[in-house]
Amino acid sequence: MSLRDVLSPYTAWKHLFEAPVTIKDPIGREAAERYRGFHQNDLSKCIGCGSCEDICQNAAIDMVPVSDPKTGDSGLRPMIDYGRCCWCALCVDVCMTGSLTMSNEYTWVDSDPDAFRFTPGVDLKSWDAEEKGYKRENNERRLTGTHRPEMGMLEPEARIASFGEIVHGYTRAEAVIEADRCVECGLCVATCPAHMDIPDYIRKVREGDYEGGLKLLYETNPFSQTCGRVCTHACETACAAVHEGDAIAIRWLKRDITDNVPRERYFDLISKPDVPETGKKVAIVGAGPGGLTTAFDLARAGNEVVVFEALPKPGGMMRYGIPEYRLPYDVLDHEISVIEKMGVDIRCNQRIGTDITLDQLKKDHDAVVLSLGLNQGRSTRVPGSEEAESAIDLLRRITAGDKVPVPKQVAIIGGGNVAMDIARSMARLQRQKHGEVGVTVTALEDFDHFLADDEEVEEAREEGCVIYDARGPQEIVVKSGKVAGLRTWKCKAIFDAEGRFAPKYDASDEMVHPAQMVVEAIGQSADISLLGAELTEKLEWNRGRIRIDQNGRTSEPWLWAAGDLVSGPDVIHAVADGHRVAKSVSAMLQATRETH
Amino acid sequence: MMFNLKTDRSQYPQPGPDGKLEIDLETGKYLKLWQGPNHPGITGNMSVELTVCGDEVVAGKTHVGYLHRGFEKLMERRSFIQVFPIVCRVCVPEPDFNEYCYAAAVEELAGIKVPELANWMRTLILEMGRFNSYMMFLGGISGALGLGVVGQWMTYVRDLMLDRFEELTGARIYHMFILPGGVRGHLPDGFAGRMEEVLRTAEKYLADVEKVMFRNAVYKRRTKGIGVIDPKLFEPYGVTGPNARAGGVAKDLRKDAPYLVYNELDFEVQTGKDSDIHTRVDVRYRDIHQSIALIRQILQKMPKDGPVMAKIPNVLHWQIPRGETYIKGESSRGEYGYYLVTDGSGYPRRINVRGPSYTHAMALLEHLIPGTNISDVAQLMVSLHTYPPEIER
Amino acid sequence: MMKDLIAKLKKHYKLTEPDYRRADLTFVTAQKDELRSLLIALRDIEGFTHLVLLTAVDWLEEGLFQLTYMLNNRAANRTLALRVMIPRANAVGDTIHDLWPTAETYQRELREMFGIDFPGSPRVNDEFILEGWTDMPPYRRDFDSLAYSLQTYRERPGRVTHDPREHMKKALYPDQKPEAAK
Ligand code: SF4
Ligand code: SF4
Ligand code: SF4
Repeated sequence: MSLRDVLSPYTAWKHLFEAPVTIKDPIGREAAERYRGFHQNDLSKCIGCGSCEDICQNAAIDMVPVSDPKTGDSGLRPMIDYGRCCWCALCVDVCMTGSLTMSNEYTWVDSDPDAFRFTPGVDLKSWDAEEKGYKRENNERRLTGTHRPEMGMLEPEARIASFGEIVHGYTRAEAVIEADRCVECGLCVATCPAHMDIPDYIRKVREGDYEGGLKLLYETNPFSQTCGRVCTHACETACAAVHEGDAIAIRWLKRDITDNVPRERYFDLISKPDVPETGKKVAIVGAGPGGLTTAFDLARAGNEVVVFEALPKPGGMMRYGIPEYRLPYDVLDHEISVIEKMGVDIRCNQRIGTDITLDQLKKDHDAVVLSLGLNQGRSTRVPGSEEAESAIDLLRRITAGDKVPVPKQVAIIGGGNVAMDIARSMARLQRQKHGEVGVTVTALEDFDHFLADDEEVEEAREEGCVIYDARGPQEIVVKSGKVAGLRTWKCKAIFDAEGRFAPKYDASDEMVHPAQMVVEAIGQSADISLLGAELTEKLEWNRGRIRIDQNGRTSEPWLWAAGDLVSGPDVIHAVADGHRVAKSVSAMLQATRETH
Repeated sequence: MMFNLKTDRSQYPQPGPDGKLEIDLETGKYLKLWQGPNHPGITGNMSVELTVCGDEVVAGKTHVGYLHRGFEKLMERRSFIQVFPIVCRVCVPEPDFNEYCYAAAVEELAGIKVPELANWMRTLILEMGRFNSYMMFLGGISGALGLGVVGQWMTYVRDLMLDRFEELTGARIYHMFILPGGVRGHLPDGFAGRMEEVLRTAEKYLADVEKVMFRNAVYKRRTKGIGVIDPKLFEPYGVTGPNARAGGVAKDLRKDAPYLVYNELDFEVQTGKDSDIHTRVDVRYRDIHQSIALIRQILQKMPKDGPVMAKIPNVLHWQIPRGETYIKGESSRGEYGYYLVTDGSGYPRRINVRGPSYTHAMALLEHLIPGTNISDVAQLMVSLHTYPPEIER
Repeated sequence: MMKDLIAKLKKHYKLTEPDYRRADLTFVTAQKDELRSLLIALRDIEGFTHLVLLTAVDWLEEGLFQLTYMLNNRAANRTLALRVMIPRANAVGDTIHDLWPTAETYQRELREMFGIDFPGSPRVNDEFILEGWTDMPPYRRDFDSLAYSLQTYRERPGRVTHDPREHMKKALYPDQKPEAAK
């Protein structure tokens, strides 16, 4: 033992007069910039999807009602129990909107334990506006996917050469990636008119259980193949994923299920339920999505259902309005054959008023459902418009295989999806006949307020259509009895101060679009002449529309109305209507059965 | 030895025919003495049940279970992301090993490749954690010997490192920063500079420790030649880390089975010869300096930019195919590892945490205790550097 | 190197197809009655002197416990994990405390947490972590830890949560479920 070893420890004394290193009053000590302290929630951003609750392994979060639910927002907000929270910030990382963050505040003393259970953003706290605290790096959501795989499509060159289907559908790998992104919050379900079980069937895609998925689809929608292709997918606007990145491709995933079940398997999977025959008979007028959905439901409930269709084939606007390159006919045929398998008797070429009367239907059946499509085009009524073609009529003739005139130059009036449909259909026909495309679309709206879907516009352009925005039709130029062009003025405003339709034009900005055919695609209406004068007189009306109750029943107890006629041109709305009407008809039939 | 008094061993228990000691408490010759679960000479919440005869310990049994939280079972009921906030809690002083091992195990079975920068960050964090764990160790061993001031200094230095943890990870103790797929963020601006200040302060205090502890006659007397582990015991008793290195076996997974970016770093395995308490502390003391050097090296060599997170599946329904793996690393106490078994579902089938204390504080300690003096049990225990939560998880 | 070793071992022992997880980590299933001699061969001839861990995995659905004996050869940087499958009912393993004294602790834990007995292992029936535990061994898959905690601890009163989808349905379209739906 050396003397040094005895003395050396005394060097510790040199610290004797140093200032203490301890913090005197730690309450209020500011934490680091990234510190994970008490939560903050931006209520206007939060959509109440509950992903934060799902991920919390401590079950510290409850979703509590704070505001009324609306599209894409459940109105619920996370309430946090700090007796459980472990400050892991997984809730912040997973948050679908970035609304949930953390402040760097952590020193808070209170003798009431319940004070430590509150709803950030609702129960105001001093740190609500604190900039410092844990945020996701670059505000990136990394725990769930943000972008959808790109959908495989035909190249424009290949597209324009035929009416073949453009969209390939996802590969299995793509479908799995896309289905994986869904957080199963179910916000979209409320927005879907038919309230399809979206998160559940997306799960089926993930699990690869396509047959189970198909059964689930048919519980709410007998037109899933169609909707999987052409649905207006309002659900996707309500999707939780839309706030940071792409909405889940709900429509494509639905299609993925329908594409992956072999056609013959449909008939085994969607079998008619074993219910006793009711002995009741229902007539349905119009074999569109609404009418056929009603027929599907009522037939499955044991009723005898006959569908009367004026055109040669069933499907309504799905067949005669939507071009084949978006919805191939064989898909539709197969879809309808599943419905027929339920015992639905579809009689085509049966025009009401001509081939059979409504009175007759009423006599032979216990209930009649009118499910009429919007099959009449509206006219611009500009000079020369009597020489114009109607888009909807033209589309029908193309589908029917009629010979339609295909001039080298076609001008189209309108900027909605129907305008794009006819533009692209005519482009294909021109390409077949002349080897080149000569379609000009003139829309009243400017590109910032365009009506057609973006991808429709983009694809039409890729296919060679020329699109002018903010052009108002003034005249269809007719020379020696033949259409020679379309004269348009620049449109400065569409609506007046009161919001009424009253377009204003700049006459100095005039264009004449040379064309040997002008097509009007500015809206459709239903042909209600088939009701006949007597019934028209008897029915109650509301601003030109048949007055119905919320279940589609008219003022006549035996008559219901559904489909585009009542809710506008959209397959999924028609399906939802169809279900509602079927339910209402069923209830009436049930009631009469019980009283007799 | 200064006082080499002969002891009359006749009063000590004699082994029976089966080689086991026969201890009859009724004779009044023996006393049961509990060290812990609350005792300054115990690391964490555990206790050693000593049987003493005079001031000599004739038998010892380790008791754990004071903070069993059933972590491994809990994890089987958590999705793969939900396990992440739990793992760090298995070990307070050096939580990051749990985060790393778990994340790496999940990544391996799920087939995820972690970005390079994330591996550097992970290495940095593990070295920072090692440093802090050693700070607690130095405080503990000095405390066990009544040198309270070293404990105070080390607590201070550890706190400075916790400040760096706080600014980097957002938390001081349970960092929850190494996420399956990478790490949660980049270095804050100016981090290296502030880290350098901490390291300099640490070096200053460590120099004081050198003077106050290592050059302390009492300390030397009470640690040299005491608590010797025969290197022959290393394999039978699963001894790893500094405990083995102090006995001349250069076991260090950073070299033996390089993980993360250790292959790209210059360092040497610190070893000693005597395998006693003094050497074990000395090896760790040198390892602290090595960690300091490694932290400097990492900060200097790591890529300046790049992603820190790989793309991972939607964590809310993350399923991992059936498989099993074992990920290990060299913690401040020795081999730390996670054995993960998956069954294709969204939950782990089994997670087993392999902590070095499991062997060191149980079978090994019980083997070393007989024949020691009561007053040496504390520093013997502490010198093994064990943390009970690893034992009972 | 692992492939060679396995090929060599296969000459004398029944082993299943190995899972070469990484260059330095292999899993293989061995026969229970050959375990001991395998372990000795690995330890004394092949340099696998370090028992990394010994634990169990409960394959409840298959009625089996998997015992995992993980061995490491430090010089070669190779880890070999031997799996031994034993029936869950009256589960008994062979003690290896005489090969690695530290195995005693593992076996005590397995006895307590999984109910796997290791006759002859010192103090195998001593309480290890649990004290006064009377329920089934808690690390078995069929021990329901959630039910246990619900029984044992009190939930904080007043907590209610809402499922977004159900909540929206109730508020926006309470009874609109189509006819065909279940
Ligand atoms: S995850 Fe975000 S958006 Fe969704 S409920 Fe929680 S805080 Fe709101
Ligand atoms: S920080 Fe972690 S524990 Fe706390 S509420 Fe969020 S997810 Fe739950
Ligand atoms: S599709 Fe979108 S809104 Fe619907 S459940 Fe999935 S994430 Fe939620």
